[in-house]
Amino acid sequence: MNRVFDKLKAIDFLSQNKLIFLLFLLIFILFIIGEILARGFLKLDHIYTILRTTSFLGIVSIGQTLVILTGGIDLSVGPLITMGNVFTCMLINGIDANTFWAILVVIFLGMIFGCFSGLFVSYLRISPLVITLVTGSIVTGITLIFSHGAPKGLASPVLRFIGVGRLFDIFPVIIVVWIILSCLTILLLNFSVFGRKIYYIGANEKTALMSGIRVHLLKTIVYSISGGAAALTGSLMAGYTRTAFLGIGDEYTMWSIATVVIGGTSITGGKGGYLGTIAGAILFILLESILTIVKIPEAGRRIANGAIILILINIYFKQ
Amino acid sequence: MKEKQHNLRLFVPIYVIVILIYITAGIIEPQFITWRNNVNLFTRITPLILVGMAQTFVVLTGGIDLSIGAIIGLTNVIAASLPFINTPLNIILWLLIPPLVGFGVGVINGFFISKKGLPPLIVTLATGAIWLGVTLFIMPIPGGTVSLSVALTITGKLFNTIPIPLLIILFFVLTGYFILRNTELGRSLYALGGNEAIAYESGIPCSRIKILVYGISGILSSFAGMFLSGWMFSADPLIGNPYVLNSIAVTVIAGTSLSGGKGGVVGIIGGAYIFYILNNILNLLGISAFYQYIAKGLVLILALIISSPNASIILKNYFKKQSFFDKEEFVK
Repeated sequence: MNRVFDKLKAIDFLSQNKLIFLLFLLIFILFIIGEILARGFLKLDHIYTILRTTSFLGIVSIGQTLVILTGGIDLSVGPLITMGNVFTCMLINGIDANTFWAILVVIFLGMIFGCFSGLFVSYLRISPLVITLVTGSIVTGITLIFSHGAPKGLASPVLRFIGVGRLFDIFPVIIVVWIILSCLTILLLNFSVFGRKIYYIGANEKTALMSGIRVHLLKTIVYSISGGAAALTGSLMAGYTRTAFLGIGDEYTMWSIATVVIGGTSITGGKGGYLGTIAGAILFILLESILTIVKIPEAGRRIANGAIILILINIYFKQ
Repeated sequence: MKEKQHNLRLFVPIYVIVILIYITAGIIEPQFITWRNNVNLFTRITPLILVGMAQTFVVLTGGIDLSIGAIIGLTNVIAASLPFINTPLNIILWLLIPPLVGFGVGVINGFFISKKGLPPLIVTLATGAIWLGVTLFIMPIPGGTVSLSVALTITGKLFNTIPIPLLIILFFVLTGYFILRNTELGRSLYALGGNEAIAYESGIPCSRIKILVYGISGILSSFAGMFLSGWMFSADPLIGNPYVLNSIAVTVIAGTSLSGGKGGVVGIIGGAYIFYILNNILNLLGISAFYQYIAKGLVLILALIISSPNASIILKNYFKKQSFFDKEEFVK
């Protein structure tokens, strides 16, 4: 049984890798197009800028990837990012010593809200689409109440260093954080029992339950991770923007879903992985960046985003 | 008989909640039950009811439509950009063009979903982004205007007594109820949502019906867009954004299962009411808008738990502590 499962997974992994290779090829081509359109697009500094913007999207999408792999969806990431952002600034208030525990508290809060959605999704079998929406509404309310509609506070120098600083004056710290988290996610998904169970739940929940996997518990954990990842993203964004901003997470709900889908993860669950999501996130931000350089208005960028999702899923479903 | 009871189960709880909230609100704040305030509420919930019906039709077939917000925005902008001088031709154009656009847009969604077999969630997410872009091209900032008499008619009163929005609500909900209950199309929708393979085997033209359903969703959303433009005398390209998720919430509260094949339109008025009743009483009581998000969330959760058929079974089984094979019945 186990061997068959391994074999199936190997085949899946191969086809998945072909897809990821194609995505990275597309990214490479887009970089070259960018260079043709505007000199200096391929400069290291600019690539770092793009990757830095991508890393926020990438970190949110860790949670979204896990959730979508179990066949669910998380619409509360946007409000959770805003909550993380606002609470981090409020708790830190510009003091270095507060940074560590403030981020821990924020991640913990995010996980609690994620856990809340997870419990409803798994034990009460309420559709994830609706319950995460409701959680998002509650989180927005809590953020507004605690910040009185006008968030105060500042990011501390340490958090600023994580957000915009550079390791040894060369490599942006936030990208390092993203790489570490990505490695952990890929290890978790591809080389641990937990990861396999997630794929199994997404592929066939009933069979997973019958074979003794604690589906409900695992699903709750996955939603908690998603909540934690979103809140962490909010914290890190505070390092990038210095002050808190109430609308910071709004776009990220749809962006993270789009990223995961562009990355080749099946929306019905059980297929895909985080490597694809990385490519998806880079592709998404890169496209945005190129369109901005060519001075295409907001309207055109939206159309391009929609078109690329439509084209890519057409390709995926032909395979 | 059994089916009838099941239907009752789906939408009775929601009306019980609405009536409870309504009575409590009336006791706390007598202003709430005045006719004027209620007319105001009818006007506010009309777009949500139209959109909720659009979503319900799609969800019954097992799909979902996230492009509703963009269609509202697009038709809202188109309705406010058409010539607005009062001539019969202009009014006919105003009444025809937005629904046609909505239908066309919906059919494109339906094409990708049924003919290409792509997941509805992603297709409508992508097309939603595209149509929002098109809307922003037509009108980047809020503006435009609508014929004054049309606008006054839409939000006015028939014979100075019956509010037109109430008539619109009743007309659409009753028509929807009739279609779902008594026509071949309605029954095919349930069959399709229940089990597509079996529906196909029994000769239901699945792909045609799916395309039609997304078209209907587009038309209903475009009516919501037109209503909004008439209500505001102008257009806003981003007006539809909150309606995407609200429509899903209303659909689910009204007792329609997101996996398809179960539910109906009867509960939608109650579902939409819950959304605005709370805002309305909290406003009347002078409570900060910040608390409204939480209040709305908590009431939605209550409604979800009560209207979810699984919840009661699960809770019952949980207290009985049955073995895990018995739990099989609620794993799909």
